[in-house]
Amino acid sequence: MSDSSTTHQTRTGDEPAAPDPLDTDSVVVTRSLTKIYGSGDAAVKALRGVDVAIGRGQLTAIMGPSGSGKSTLMHIMAGLDRPTHGTVTVDGIEITGLKERDLTQLRRDKIGFIFQSFNLLPMLNAQENIVLPLTISGTPVDKSWFERLIGIVRLEDRLSHKPSELSGGQQQRVAVARSLVGRPAVLFADEPTGNLDSRRGEEVLQLLRQSVDEFGQTIIMVTHDAHAASISDRVLFLKDGMIVHDHGSMASDDIYDVIRSLEGVCPADANGDGDARSLAAVLCAPETAAAEVVGAAAGGSDGDGPGRAER
Amino acid sequence: MMRVALRNLWQHKLRTSLTILAVLLGVAMISGTYVLTDQLRSGFEDIYQSAYKNIDVVVAPKPAFGESFEAGMETLPDSLVAKVEAVEGVTTVNPSLSALGVLVIDGEALQTMGSPTLFFNAAPTELDSVTYYAGSKPDQSGEIAVNRDAAEANDLSVGDEVAVGTQNGAVPVRISGLFDFGSEGASLGGSILVVGTTEDLRDWFDLQGVVSAIEVKGEGTDADALAARIRAAIDYPQATVKTGAVSAAEQTQAVGDALDSVLTPALLAFGGVAVLVGAFIIFNTFSITVAQRQREFAMLRTLGATRRQVLGTVVAEALVIGVGASVAGLFAGLGVAMGMNSLFKAVGADIPVGGLEMAPRTIIIGLAVGIGITLVSALVPAIRATRVPPVAALQEGAALPPSALSRYVPYFGGLLAALGIGLLVLGLLSQGSVTDRLLQMAIGGVLIFFAVATVAKYVVRPVARVLGWPVDRVDGSAGRLARENSMRNPARTAATAAALMIGLAVVVFVAVFTAGFKSSFVDAVDEMAKGDLIVRTQSGGMMTALPESAGEAIRRVPTVESVSGIAFQQVQVEGGATGAIIGIEPSDMKRQWEYRWLDGGSDALLDELGSDTAVVEEQFALDHKLAVGDTVSVLARSGKTADFQIVGKYRDPNLFAGLTVSTAGWDRLFAQRDAVFYLLSVEPGASVTATQKGVAAAMGSYPQAIVETKAEYIDSIVKQLNQFLYMLYALLAVSVIISLFGIVNTLILTVYERTREIGMLRAIGASRSQIRRMIRYESVITAIMGGVLGIVLGTAFAYIVTTQLGAQGISFTVPPVQLVICLIVAIVVGVLAAVLPARRAAKTDILAAIHYE
Ligand SMILES: Nc1ncnc2c1ncn2[C@@H]1O[C@H](COP(=O)(O)OP(=O)(O)OP(=O)(O)O)[C@@H](O)[C@H]1O
Ligand SMILES: [Mg+2]
Repeated sequence: MSDSSTTHQTRTGDEPAAPDPLDTDSVVVTRSLTKIYGSGDAAVKALRGVDVAIGRGQLTAIMGPSGSGKSTLMHIMAGLDRPTHGTVTVDGIEITGLKERDLTQLRRDKIGFIFQSFNLLPMLNAQENIVLPLTISGTPVDKSWFERLIGIVRLEDRLSHKPSELSGGQQQRVAVARSLVGRPAVLFADEPTGNLDSRRGEEVLQLLRQSVDEFGQTIIMVTHDAHAASISDRVLFLKDGMIVHDHGSMASDDIYDVIRSLEGVCPADANGDGDARSLAAVLCAPETAAAEVVGAAAGGSDGDGPGRAER
Repeated sequence: MMRVALRNLWQHKLRTSLTILAVLLGVAMISGTYVLTDQLRSGFEDIYQSAYKNIDVVVAPKPAFGESFEAGMETLPDSLVAKVEAVEGVTTVNPSLSALGVLVIDGEALQTMGSPTLFFNAAPTELDSVTYYAGSKPDQSGEIAVNRDAAEANDLSVGDEVAVGTQNGAVPVRISGLFDFGSEGASLGGSILVVGTTEDLRDWFDLQGVVSAIEVKGEGTDADALAARIRAAIDYPQATVKTGAVSAAEQTQAVGDALDSVLTPALLAFGGVAVLVGAFIIFNTFSITVAQRQREFAMLRTLGATRRQVLGTVVAEALVIGVGASVAGLFAGLGVAMGMNSLFKAVGADIPVGGLEMAPRTIIIGLAVGIGITLVSALVPAIRATRVPPVAALQEGAALPPSALSRYVPYFGGLLAALGIGLLVLGLLSQGSVTDRLLQMAIGGVLIFFAVATVAKYVVRPVARVLGWPVDRVDGSAGRLARENSMRNPARTAATAAALMIGLAVVVFVAVFTAGFKSSFVDAVDEMAKGDLIVRTQSGGMMTALPESAGEAIRRVPTVESVSGIAFQQVQVEGGATGAIIGIEPSDMKRQWEYRWLDGGSDALLDELGSDTAVVEEQFALDHKLAVGDTVSVLARSGKTADFQIVGKYRDPNLFAGLTVSTAGWDRLFAQRDAVFYLLSVEPGASVTATQKGVAAAMGSYPQAIVETKAEYIDSIVKQLNQFLYMLYALLAVSVIISLFGIVNTLILTVYERTREIGMLRAIGASRSQIRRMIRYESVITAIMGGVLGIVLGTAFAYIVTTQLGAQGISFTVPPVQLVICLIVAIVVGVLAAVLPARRAAKTDILAAIHYE
C-alpha cells in the first residue's frame, strides 16, 4: 500500500469532526449527499443531504431503521455507488468523479471491506484468502504485519484450511484479516456480525475494536446491533436518508432507546434527564422538525461523553 | 410445468440460444448431407433422363464385370448396326461413339477439376439429346460443338478456333455450335461435352469398325417389344438391349447406390461427430442448470410437486430446445448443402447437382436426431433434478446426495474403454465388408470418447494444476484464480473439455493418418523412382491415359536415355473381387524403378516375365490369397481372360499395388496399351531441365500430359492430398465451433453462479481487466485440456489404425506442426469462447456481492 503511513497516525480524540473536506483528521468527508433511486412517482429518496466527516482512527457506527439509507450511505462513501448529488472525499481524494480504473486503484490502496456473508473464495485456503487483496494488486506481503494480524485473529493453526473446513466465526475472522492486510485508510463493514451468533459476533467486534486501538484503523460499520454500536467511538443515526443523531461513544441502553424512538416507539418517560433520552423525546416529534432535530443532535453530541440513561 | 420450462428458457435467452445452436449445427450437417446427396442424385437423374429422352432402345456393350456406368470405353462391333436397322419398327439408328479427350484452348488443355471431358458424335436430330442454342450441329470434319457451361466458362463462341486432344494427338477444330444439355438450371458439374462428326470421332479415338452403343428410335410406343425384337435379331451376348427409360433409371440407380455407399456415410460421419459434440453440450448445460436450480426444485417439492413433475419441467425444457433446434437445423441444412457443394468445388470435385429439395426422409431423420439427442442427453441431469430433497430449499448450498451408482463410474469408464478399443481393433482386423468394419471402428471410437469423458474428471485437477502453472506465473492473481476455478468442479470442466476433445481428436486422427500416408507415399516415390522425370496425365486416372504414340514421342527427345510406360486397368481376379493390373516393359522398368523385392526376389525376376508370368504386390497377394508359384486367372472388362503364374512378390502399397505383367502379358487382355505414367531418365551429363522442356515440347499434341521432375511430382501429389485434407478440416471445423459454444455456455453459467464472488473480488480491488483475464484463463485452461486430450486420443487412434494398416502403405508419422496448430486452435477457441462471459463478469455489480439475500 503506497500510503499506509497514514494509518499509523495516532488518534486525535474522541470528538467527531465537523464535516470539512479539508480536515486532515477526517478520512471520509461527505458534502450534501443525495441519492435518489428511480424517477418520477417511483422515485425513492434514499439519502437527502448527508454531511458527515468520519474521523481518522475512529470506529464509527451507522445505525437506523431498516430502509433509512445506511447501506446506501456506506456504498457511496466506499465508491461502490454514485450519489445523485454531493461529493465524497476519501483520504483527501474526491472520489465522486473518478473513473472506473481509478476507483479500482482506490479500492486497492485505501479501502477495505468486511461483508455480512463472509464472501471467502472456497477454493483458496485461509492464508490465501487473507492475502488475496495483495495478490490482486500485485503487492508483496509484509511478513511481520501478516504474522501480527493472524496472531490477533488467532488463525495461526488454521492457515492451510479451506473455508469449508472453518466455522462461521473463523471464516469471519479470516475476512477481517483480509480486510486489514492491505492497511486500508478506511475499513467498511456492513453488518459484520449479522450472520454470527452473539459469542462469535463479540469476537469479531473485539477484533475491530482492537484494530482501532492498536493500529489506529479507521472503521465505518453499519449495524443493527446496539451492542455493536456501543463499542464504537461514534454513533450516527439515520432516518429517512438524513442523519438525525450524531453522538460520541454511547452505552447500549441509550442506543436502544434512540432506536426505539426512531422506529416510532417513544419512551414511556419522555421527560428523562439524559441527553439521549431527551433526544429520543424530540425525535418523537413530527417529521417537519427533522432539520432542527439534526441541529439539536449535533449540538447534543458536543458534550463530554454520553449522557446517562435512566433505567 | 411446460410454462415453468418456457419461462425459464425465455429468461435465459443467451444460454438457450447457445444450447439450441449446439444441436442445430449437428442437425444441419445431417440434413445438409441428405439434401446434398439428393441434389446430386437428381442432378445425375436429370443428365440420364436428358441423355435418353429421345431414345427408345439402346444396345450397349455389356462389361464382363462391374457396372456399365463405371466401365471403361467398351465397344460393340460395327456390324451390329445393320442388324438393328433391319429390325421391324426401327426408324432411326445412331451408331453412337463416345470417348474421353481434352479440349484445348490457346494451347492449354482445359482443367476440368476431376470431371471428364466427354466426346460424342452428332446424333440424328430424332435421337439428339442436346439442343443447340447457337450455331448448328457439326456436319463436316473439323467442326465441334460444346455445352453451354463449358462455352460460358471459357468465353467460347461460334466460329472460334480451338483444338481437341485425342488419342492421336491434338487436332485443330472450329466451333460450329453451342448446346444445352439437360433441363434448365441443372449443372453438369465441371464436365465438358464435345460433339464432333461421326467420322472425326472414329479418327480421333481409333474407333474404326466399332461403336460405343447403338441408339434406336422406333415407331409406335411399345419400346419393350422393340427391345425384345432387337435382342432376338442381333443375338449378341456381349451386348445388353434395354429401353431408354430403363437405361436412364438403371444408371441413375447406380449413381445413387454409389453415393449411398461412399459419400452419404462419409458426410454423415462428420454430422455424427457434430451431433455427438452437441450431445455433450446439452448434457453439460443441463447438468449445470439443474445444480443451480436445486433450490427452485426443492421449493417446488415442498409445494407438493412430485418427482415426476420436477422431471417434467426439465424434460419439457429439453423438448422445447430439441424441437426448436431440429426445425431450425433442417433449414440450416439447406445452407449446409450449398456450403458443402462449394467446398467440393473448391477442392476440385465438381459434381452435377439438381435443385435444392427437402425430402420427407430428410425431415424425419433431422427431427428424430435433433429431438432424440437432446432428450437423451438431458435425461441424466433431469433425473438428478428429481433427487433434490425438499429440505434443500431451506439449506444454503445443500449438495445433492451422490448417486448410488456414482462410485462405479471409473469402472464403467474402464468398461467402455475396453469395449471401444475392442470394437476398434475388431473393425480393423475383421474380414467383413468395408462399411461394417468402418461402422465397428466408429462405434469403438465413440465408446472411447465416452470412456475418456467419464473418467476425465479424475484427471482435471492434476492437469489443470500443470496447465494453470504458466498463467499462474505470468499473471499472478488472475491466473491463480483461474487455475483454482477450473479445478473447482472437475466434472463440469471435464465435460466442457470433452466436447472440444471430440472434434480435435478427429482432426488429429485425420492429420496423423494423412501425414502417415503422405510420408510413406513420398518415401516410396523418393526411394523407388530412379528416373529423373515423370510424364503423367492431368487427371492422373485411366480416363485420359497417354497412347503409345506419346511414348514414342518421348523416346525421340535426344537427351532421354530410357522411357518406361506403365499401363493400368481393373480386372476381375479369380471370378471374385477386382484388382489392378499393371503392364510394364520389364527391361525399361528395371532402369526406372527400384522394386522392393520380398521372399528373396530380385530384378532378375523381371527378365523372366513372359506372356504368362507375373509378379505381384504383397497386399494384392494377401487380398486374393495368392502365393509365389500359384497361377492366377484374371478377366478383363472386354471379356478376355488370361492366366498368369506368379513368379515373385514385391512391396509397393502406394504406387504399383496390383498384378504386374509384361507388355506381352498385357496384350493378351487389352487391345490398347495406353500408359498412365511414363517414367524416364535423362542421359548422363544432360540437363534435366532442358530435357524436361524438350519432353514437354514433344508432348505438344498430348495436351493432357504433365511433365514433372520427381520432386515436382511428389509436390503435386502432396498438394492434392492437402486439398483433400483441408476439405476434411472444413467439415470438422463445425464440431470445433459447436464445442466453442459449449465453453461459452459453461462459462456464462459459471459467471452467473459466481456473481457474488466476482463482486467481492471487485470490491477488494480486482480491476475489470483482471476479472476478464481470470475468466479467459479459465476458458483457455479448459480448452487446452480438451485440446491435449483430443491430440492424445487422436494420435492414439491413428497409431492403432496405422499400425494395423501398415502393409497398406500407411506409416505412423506424427506431424508436429499440425499438432501444434491443433493446440493453438484450442487456445484460440478458449480465448474466443471467453469474450462474452468475460465481458459479463467484468460488468458484475459490486453491490451484488455485498447485498445479502
Ligand atoms: N437499487 C435500489 N433501487 C431502488 N431503491 C433502492 C435501491 N437500493 C435501496 N433502495 C431504497 O433506498 C432506501 C435505503 O436503502 P438502504 O439499503 O440504504 O437501507 P438500509 O438502511 O441499509 O436498510 P437495512 O437496514 O434494511 O439494510 C430504501 O427505501 C430502499 O428501498
Ligand atoms: Mg442495509
